[in-house]
Amino acid sequence: MNQPHEHENWIERATALLDQSADNLDAETLSRLNRARQAALAQRRVITRRWAWSAGLAGAAVALFGVAVGLHHRFDEPTLGSPTAASTPASDIDFLTSDDDALDLYENLDFYAWLEKHGGDPRG
Amino acid sequence: MASPICLMTAFDDGRANMQANDDARAIEQFMRGVERRALRMAEFATRSRDEALDLVQDAMFAFVRNYSTRPGAEWPPLFWRVLDSRLNDWHRRQRVRGRWWFKPGDASGDDDFLSEAPDAREPGPFARMADGEASAALEIALRELPLRQRQAFLLRLWEGLDVADAASAMRCSEGSVKTHLSRALANLRRALEAHR
Repeated sequence: MNQPHEHENWIERATALLDQSADNLDAETLSRLNRARQAALAQRRVITRRWAWSAGLAGAAVALFGVAVGLHHRFDEPTLGSPTAASTPASDIDFLTSDDDALDLYENLDFYAWLEKHGGDPRG
Repeated sequence: MASPICLMTAFDDGRANMQANDDARAIEQFMRGVERRALRMAEFATRSRDEALDLVQDAMFAFVRNYSTRPGAEWPPLFWRVLDSRLNDWHRRQRVRGRWWFKPGDASGDDDFLSEAPDAREPGPFARMADGEASAALEIALRELPLRQRQAFLLRLWEGLDVADAASAMRCSEGSVKTHLSRALANLRRALEAHR
């Protein structure tokens, strides 16, 4: 029966022989291994570059979106409180409904135009 | 004048490129360190250098594609796992091919099919070992081991993986690794002992 140290010696010798066989590969095999490694790494560079481009584009898109939102907010903000734009329909309605004379004038614009043309005054 | 967004993007790209270059150097160094042993391991399994080179290249591609972003400490068991998977696939294909073309009905389905072959052990290599050609004898003895036993021996004792990493690489339990290794040592010793 083998002793433990004999067992280890045998394993050491076996691994040393294996190391030797790996170290003594011929030039052509080493060249092919090198090409295989470079091809695998080139694939990684493509993946990395594609990822970087995607990340860059995503970042640019987010930034662009932020700028667009900011500009929209900036240009919209004054007009929201402006009576000339946002409240114009409401002011028209106010004008038409708050004053009876104004409503009368609006309804009889044609008549007043005719009157002005003929120089008459309906009120006397 | 470049906008701040462009500058930020360029800065990020530059930093990403530097990091990518460092990672590429690290992974190249790792693969350069293991590729020869990987080739020998595949050669023991396939008995063909061309087939072994194809398998190693395939393993490199798969490893880089799937695991290159993982921490470097995780690379060894992952790389050997990828290669082990390729070797298993290759063995399955060979077994199917053998079943159809050479030995119909002789496939037992276990890992020990090589040791059951009638010419599994020849006296020649052992005689050459007595003449000092221990390397060739060892190579033949290793080739004749069942795949799992050989992988356990090579990963544990040659590659130096611990039991847990070897189990991860071989996708089996730690107990299975110990069993495969024990059988591998017994078979190899038996094959080489007569020539000491």
